[in-house]
Amino acid sequence: MRSCATIRMCGARMSRAYAQKLLSPLRTIQGLLPLALGLLLWQILAAPNSPYFPPPSTWWDSYWHLAAGGRLRTALLSTLGTFALGLLASIAIGFLGGILIGRSRLARRALGPLLEFCRGLPPPVLVPVAVLLLGYSQNLKLLNVVWVACWPILLNTSSAASRIDQLLLDVCRTFHLSPLDRLRKVIAPAVVPDFLIGVRVAIPLAIIITLLVEMMTGLPGIGSMIVTSQRQFRSAEVYGLLVLVGLLGFLINIGFNAVERRILRRWPPLER
Amino acid sequence: MLVALALLWEAVVRFKFIEFEYLPAPSGILSAWGGLIASGEMLDQTLHTFYAVAIGWTVATALGVGLGIVLGLSATVRKWSLASFEMLRPLPAIAFLPLALLLFNFSLKTELVLIIYASLWPALVNTMGGVMNVSSQLRDVSKSMRLTRMQTLIKIVLPAASPSIVTGCRLSMGLTLVMAIIAEMLANPHGLGYAVISELQAIQPQRMFAYIIYIGLIAIGLNYILTRISNAILRNHPHVRGQNV
Repeated sequence: MRSCATIRMCGARMSRAYAQKLLSPLRTIQGLLPLALGLLLWQILAAPNSPYFPPPSTWWDSYWHLAAGGRLRTALLSTLGTFALGLLASIAIGFLGGILIGRSRLARRALGPLLEFCRGLPPPVLVPVAVLLLGYSQNLKLLNVVWVACWPILLNTSSAASRIDQLLLDVCRTFHLSPLDRLRKVIAPAVVPDFLIGVRVAIPLAIIITLLVEMMTGLPGIGSMIVTSQRQFRSAEVYGLLVLVGLLGFLINIGFNAVERRILRRWPPLER
Repeated sequence: MLVALALLWEAVVRFKFIEFEYLPAPSGILSAWGGLIASGEMLDQTLHTFYAVAIGWTVATALGVGLGIVLGLSATVRKWSLASFEMLRPLPAIAFLPLALLLFNFSLKTELVLIIYASLWPALVNTMGGVMNVSSQLRDVSKSMRLTRMQTLIKIVLPAASPSIVTGCRLSMGLTLVMAIIAEMLANPHGLGYAVISELQAIQPQRMFAYIIYIGLIAIGLNYILTRISNAILRNHPHVRGQNV
């Protein structure tokens, strides 16, 4: 009887979810109206050569100017490359380091305050340190991104690793699992949900730091491109690049949501 | 542990185990720090940054909580505008910096625009979530007591949503400081962020490191104080009583 009710409930929820899915593009379009209306008004009201508020159609033209000679593509690839490499390195460092630190009480107690300090430091102040020690180089971008983005992943993973139920670890011992198997079958699945939250926090940080380093050092990338446009008072380019950056952030977010959903389906969070 | 690390650092620099041209020893940083405090420079810069943070945070949380309440209460408003907000939200605030520079030049306004844009979102999203999650029983209670809309808002919705609102405001504060420092580094030649950059350009690594460690301590101290305050506010809240916030 009860299972019957459960099934019916699930059925109802599923059909509702399905209906929502069908409706959601419509709802999204509806919700976008204020933004679209604002842009339209802007387009109509702004003078075509306004120095501060150029109408949106000129933003679009500015892309052609920026794309001339492949400049836009090079900058985009450089920024995205730094972001992706930096994020991957932070994920590797954060995941492995987090498990190591979380599983060792000694490491946790010894490093805890230092790690908290490193995470608490506002990310931008580290850029000057890196500039001073390393000079202007491509590695500078990468290193800064990794340094900033690895903390949330590392700390989240280590706190999850330290909370693993002793029972699970005892089971490993009973089954004589090798350390690798223990990592693969017990520890990794247990830390995955918290690890993913860490990655979610790290992604916007990585984007921001990539852009910030480019803006501060003038190393090639979208960040320095925006600053150059701004210094030359090409406002349409500034707006255009702003939209581009926003779009990138939006797409990265959507991509991560999809990946996260797949991973969580494979390793669902443990019931506590 | 921190002391041991500082000693190690000192030894490494003193005896040149690793060659970094510009890595100062902790003792040098400390003495530079003393100089900065004595000359009053550090205090001036701190006051400017705090001023910007205070204004930015007040405006951002007022806007964020206000919009969050409206969006949380009304499904119609959500339907007609939420997607617009969702398009704006992932825009990295830092990308606004050149635009703000273009519009307001090197000034406090530029700094405030950046701060407010960035720290608006945590307050808005958390408030909206909190208001939307007010249980339907509570709404029924307000209906059966025939409370007016305003009374419902003040007596029922806001108290019930206060944990997420307070959390949102706390998260905003953390962002505020970060954005203030970014803006001061690039767009407004005052304050702590500018101090770090100008010491970098003057190649005064000891003073620069003193500022950086100082900023780290401020950030951590601020976060600690805010967590304590929000815990104190929420301690007696029925939804969170007996659990950690």
